[in-house]
Amino acid sequence: MNFAVLIVPYFALHALRRSDPSLCGRAFALVAGEGRKAKVTEASPEARGVAPGLAATLAMSRCPGITLRPRDPGAEVEAHRLLVAAAFTLAPRVEATGAGCCTVDLRGADRARTEAIMRLRVAELAALGLPLRIGAGATPLLASYAAQRAEPVLIVGDPGAFLGPLPLAFAGPTPGHEQILRGWGIGTLGGLTALPKAEVGRRLGAEGALLWERAAGQSERVLRLVEPARSFAAEWTYEPPVESIEPLFFKLRRFAERIALELRGAGFVAEKLSLTLLLEDGTDHRREFRLPEPGANVEGWLRVLDAHLGAVRTDARIAGVRLVAAPARPPERQEGLFDTGLRDPASFWENLARVAAIVGDERVGTPVPADTHRPDAFLMERPAEAVAPPAGASVHPACGPTLRRFRPPWPVRVACEGGLPARLEGGRLEGRVRAALGPWLAEGDWWRPGAWAVETWQVELAAGGVYQLARTEGGWCVEGMLD
Amino acid sequence: MQVLAPSQTVSALRSLLAARFPERTRRPCGGVCSAVRPVDDALGGGLPAGCLTELVSAVPSGGGQTVVARLLAATQAARQRIALVDGSDGFAPGAVPADVLRHLVWVRCRAPGEALAVADILVRDGNYAAVVLDLRGCAERALRRTPASVWYRLQRAAEGGAVAVLVQTQSPLVPAVPWRLILDTPLSLADAGEPREAVADRLAVRAERSHAQAEEQLAG
Repeated sequence: MNFAVLIVPYFALHALRRSDPSLCGRAFALVAGEGRKAKVTEASPEARGVAPGLAATLAMSRCPGITLRPRDPGAEVEAHRLLVAAAFTLAPRVEATGAGCCTVDLRGADRARTEAIMRLRVAELAALGLPLRIGAGATPLLASYAAQRAEPVLIVGDPGAFLGPLPLAFAGPTPGHEQILRGWGIGTLGGLTALPKAEVGRRLGAEGALLWERAAGQSERVLRLVEPARSFAAEWTYEPPVESIEPLFFKLRRFAERIALELRGAGFVAEKLSLTLLLEDGTDHRREFRLPEPGANVEGWLRVLDAHLGAVRTDARIAGVRLVAAPARPPERQEGLFDTGLRDPASFWENLARVAAIVGDERVGTPVPADTHRPDAFLMERPAEAVAPPAGASVHPACGPTLRRFRPPWPVRVACEGGLPARLEGGRLEGRVRAALGPWLAEGDWWRPGAWAVETWQVELAAGGVYQLARTEGGWCVEGMLD
Repeated sequence: MQVLAPSQTVSALRSLLAARFPERTRRPCGGVCSAVRPVDDALGGGLPAGCLTELVSAVPSGGGQTVVARLLAATQAARQRIALVDGSDGFAPGAVPADVLRHLVWVRCRAPGEALAVADILVRDGNYAAVVLDLRGCAERALRRTPASVWYRLQRAAEGGAVAVLVQTQSPLVPAVPWRLILDTPLSLADAGEPREAVADRLAVRAERSHAQAEEQLAG
């Protein structure tokens, strides 16, 4: 499960419906074009007998009482921002793939937890008027196929079993190729991938080979990532202006729901809300609310706004509304006077788990010296919750440049003169030695299997650079650079 | 038509930009002291919070790792948390005192792609005072293939936050970085017996003309 795709079927239709409460539960359809040429592009389930492509006049005769509307770009932008905000709650690498579609890079995310969040988001967005479907798979393409089949969440574990029965149309063949493949008796993705890819490419050309890859769900691509929201604001213009509080409050609720999700996705809460009512006469009414407790609780925000709006009287009708939330870090933990613990423990441990999934558990943590003199021996421990106070001055303060290790060490041949390294040859480092310090001898574990012994030198090359050499039973190597 | 003198035009342009984009012309507030005097002097007090600083080790033994060691000591003294994203797994825990490691989160990466993905996560975390992204030792070719958008994304992630991001490289790499410092004089074996603090204070740091300087000049 490396990628997830979030899609909202009939996106434009749902975006319009969630922005206009009068359309809830009614038969309506979106139309494109003018007059007699107007055609239905999307229709609500209540509009029985109406399908995309139908002429608007025919739709009205088939479904009396149907409401026909053009697409509303403002509503779609608002719904798309809600979808992107939901995607950012899954992982920080998100692509806004298209209208009503986002792709998320889930690499590093915990599977069980991510699946639980997916189901939570589906339920949450359904309550907000966007029926979401989420598919997850090893590639963005596979996740996209899964999203189209999801009800409402589908995670593809076995790509072969999932793709096999899917119709060929999923891979997007050209009409010519589809006709040829039908002639071969192939109607599913599994049927196509059962053929050798090279043979398909030989007969159908490069486009055929690409079609085979798409059918196998193997088509990789680089995601065009978008930034998480940095400003948490929403604005709407009423046409015509409104006089009552209901449409205003409906819109504010929608804004609050989206902004709260954006804040959560970015790891913030709101500490202040700023409400501006744009009046028909060109003036405006502004009010700033400092929340009793910083948070992303929509109902709490709405209570504050409702209490204020109930008492507001304006001289002109309201032509627009703007809501801005001032972000702040969540006060997860109260810092004590002498305490420098984590500001946001949940985010800290979640991000470390995400990092561990990228590089491996054993490669993340706080290094602690091991109880041995063996070079480069250390343990990786779980980071501490609080930063300890500094220890007193060290008896043996650190001296000289700091070693930066080459892992694994670079093998090298060392020519010695008078018992001192004089020249490095072969390998990745060569040159005359200008000065050398050493040797430092160390050995350990001689009383048990795994005994070790090492002779360490520090050398400065004539060409510049100070390096640490080690001689063991296996020969010389460059352990690192003193930098 | 009134013709303004060039100095007046520039001044008016500065005022206009400062009024329209206040966040772009403001000096970064706060920061993390690196405890390396030449570095802190070049940056005007320490690693600036909310933006990237690139430290280029242009020669072998330029002192880049000594800067990391001093930064560890300074952040421990200030009881701040620090993350080291180690692109080529070069950090040597034994080379620094054990008590300056307790606040460190060390991520040992195998490839630059891993390091950049990890840095992207940690810079957004909010619990770190500084994140060091060490890309020295990584394949130059792989680094050059990194799309500029990855760096802009990292800069955007750091912007407005309280984290100072130090990117260590072998040659100038980060596009449009606000601060770029160059270490171009190698240390010698004669420095081996000197206290590390003295070695750090003698590092030759050259500040390349940077966007941050340009913005400061713009802000007047």
